[in-house]
Amino acid sequence: MNEDMLGIILAGGQGTRLGKLTKGTAKPAVPFGGRYRIIDFTLSNCANSGVKTVGVITQYQPLELNAHIGNGSSWGLDGLNAGVTVLQPYSSTEGEKFFAGTAHAIYQNIEYIDQQNPKYLLVLSGDHIYKMDYDAMLDYHKAKKASLTVGVIPVTKQEAQRFGMMNTDETDRIIEFEEKPEHPKSDKASMGIYIFNWPTLRKYLVNSYATDKSMEDFGKNVIPAYLAHNESVYAYAFKGYWRDVGTIQSLWQANMEFLSPHNRLNIGDNSWRIYSKAQVLPPMFLTETSQVNNSMIVDSCYVAGEVDHSILSQRVSVGMGSRVVDSMVMPGATIGKNVVIDHALIGEEAIIGDDAVVKGTATDIAVVGYDEVVGVEKP
Amino acid sequence: MKRGSVSAIINLVEPWEALEPLTTNRPVGMLPFGGRYRLLDFPLSSVINAGIQNVMVTSPRSGRSVSDHLRSGRDWNLDTIRGGLFMYPYNDLKLVAPEKRATLIHHYYDNSILFLKRSHSEYSVIMSTRNVGNIDLKALLRYHEERDNPVTTVYKRVDPQVLAPQNTVLQLTDKGMATAVIQKAQAKVPKTATTVAKNMDIYLMSTVDLIEILQEANRRGDLIGLEELMKQAVIQHNANAFEYTGFQANIHDLSSYFAANMAILDEAKFRALFYSSRQIYTKVKNEVPTFFAEGSQFRASLCGTGGYIEGQVAHSVIFRNVLINRGSQIKDSVIMQGTRIGAGTKVENAIVDKNVVIGPNLILKGTPTEPLVIGKGQHIFRQTEVVASV
Repeated sequence: MNEDMLGIILAGGQGTRLGKLTKGTAKPAVPFGGRYRIIDFTLSNCANSGVKTVGVITQYQPLELNAHIGNGSSWGLDGLNAGVTVLQPYSSTEGEKFFAGTAHAIYQNIEYIDQQNPKYLLVLSGDHIYKMDYDAMLDYHKAKKASLTVGVIPVTKQEAQRFGMMNTDETDRIIEFEEKPEHPKSDKASMGIYIFNWPTLRKYLVNSYATDKSMEDFGKNVIPAYLAHNESVYAYAFKGYWRDVGTIQSLWQANMEFLSPHNRLNIGDNSWRIYSKAQVLPPMFLTETSQVNNSMIVDSCYVAGEVDHSILSQRVSVGMGSRVVDSMVMPGATIGKNVVIDHALIGEEAIIGDDAVVKGTATDIAVVGYDEVVGVEKP
Repeated sequence: MKRGSVSAIINLVEPWEALEPLTTNRPVGMLPFGGRYRLLDFPLSSVINAGIQNVMVTSPRSGRSVSDHLRSGRDWNLDTIRGGLFMYPYNDLKLVAPEKRATLIHHYYDNSILFLKRSHSEYSVIMSTRNVGNIDLKALLRYHEERDNPVTTVYKRVDPQVLAPQNTVLQLTDKGMATAVIQKAQAKVPKTATTVAKNMDIYLMSTVDLIEILQEANRRGDLIGLEELMKQAVIQHNANAFEYTGFQANIHDLSSYFAANMAILDEAKFRALFYSSRQIYTKVKNEVPTFFAEGSQFRASLCGTGGYIEGQVAHSVIFRNVLINRGSQIKDSVIMQGTRIGAGTKVENAIVDKNVVIGPNLILKGTPTEPLVIGKGQHIFRQTEVVASV
């Protein structure tokens, strides 16, 4: 447990690659796994790691995220000397405050960070599904006497072309950084998880914004600058389950993996719980005609049809004669009678009328947006 | 309703003997019900839904399970800056030594009086927990304000057949006033009567009057409990009788507890209780979604989260975090939180309390009127242990 490390979650991404699903909501607020939202994993990791103070930096569509996070009590982050603060851009006397990149977002919130006066700054992104002990990473950071520690995960050569790759020496010190290399020299991909010595990072950012304003992004600008100035930058290897859920395909895939009882995420592990904003809802009701296999269902669902290898979130109803297969249905969606939902992501509060068919394939997932109405004739 | 205008006392001091072993270590109000609730959640939710913020909960014994469930009252929005939740344990005089009992004479109602005085509320409502329902207390208050009698009681019209002799009914006048609360065995119910006014154990009156009743009981040295005092108040003053028309289940013994759980498997009753405009609140837990494995069958049943279902379940209430192994068959049963049922085991007409472990290939069978009960935390691996565990 430590009081020296402040967590900052970068939750501002619009997530354009999630298309319809993030039109009115920030990516970290997108529902996942039946009763979670993507950001729950990062917030729970903070709470479980003993990171008591967390700033969540938002930018696009912060309403749902704000409502979800509230005062942080759902994660136990509302105690004495603890708290979650949702930070959003605001216009300053110098004009715009929108964030040009990850490092810029930190710089723009420098007043908040100074107020907390941390020794270490833990920078996280709010759109990954994983369980990780940041306190163990801090121990590593301290042991290495690092100025910056970057969380890395092994990826294949093919995947490396999508990531920032860290090339290290035999002590795990990062000697080179390559953004999306065609011919990767290592398998260590950045997870977008950083522990900085705050005074050092602060110095770099303040200098940059006083002069050339080059420090917009951690990957593109800050890490190269640290390496150029011979700062001690180390890679911290993470071995557990980790998924970036930034695309429709990867969001669907991660939900399907979540469904597997053999998922390495081990969601049922009580020693590292994933918390979410708790809603009081009646238990699920499965009728005489229901058929549910290989599926996850939560509170207040009503099932009269067939659900196969799918996830139903809170308040979802599936009418008689309907079949939901290989799909994830978000909270409050209503599925009528004799509907077929196959390889699909169904957005919150969507309405699928009787006899409708929403059918995708394993490589082309069908998506119904939030509040979208399918197959119901307008009166 | 103006903030602070009504306070509530939820009385957990209720007859519990007929519900043993389920009530061996918990008050009746802490009985799990409906997949994720406790009986106390129903009156408490009614209180919250009426905007009442001064709530006192009296419990018979230490109240460990009560404070564990309620904690700060946050899950019911009772951790407010004004009013809030007040716990008052150790009210069961049967558990009090004679010398301690002597000190309680003239002081038994002191805490309640203090709570009521400090609430500065105009009205007070007193509720028990053995009548499951979802009552609109705002409507009850309006009804009370429109009438002259100092006390208002609540009843539900039920078939006299469903009542046990010890259940109480209201004796109503032609004008719909209650003149007494009496046990059904003593009530002269005509053989032709199709309904009887089942007492819901809810009383509303002005706080000043209630304080006076409690102070008077203190002066007399009465140690008879709130329920008895309320019955006397009805006889003394006559009372307005408010008819409750929603879902109700009376829980007074094991078979009625069992029947109440089975009743909400009826979709219309389930919706009436849980999907009205008044929500039922309970302590929230971060449970994972329930997983239904390949080949599982789960029909006409309720289920809490955190479960893992591989076997067959029909017409049952399954609480949170229950594991039902492959090849097992659960029928017409109540399986409480954290229980594990072994592969190939058959359970029928049974109530299985929390955190029970039942081994494979056993048969647990009761009848609808005499459900088999397995006490909390039992581990059963032999057929011979099934009956011995009760």
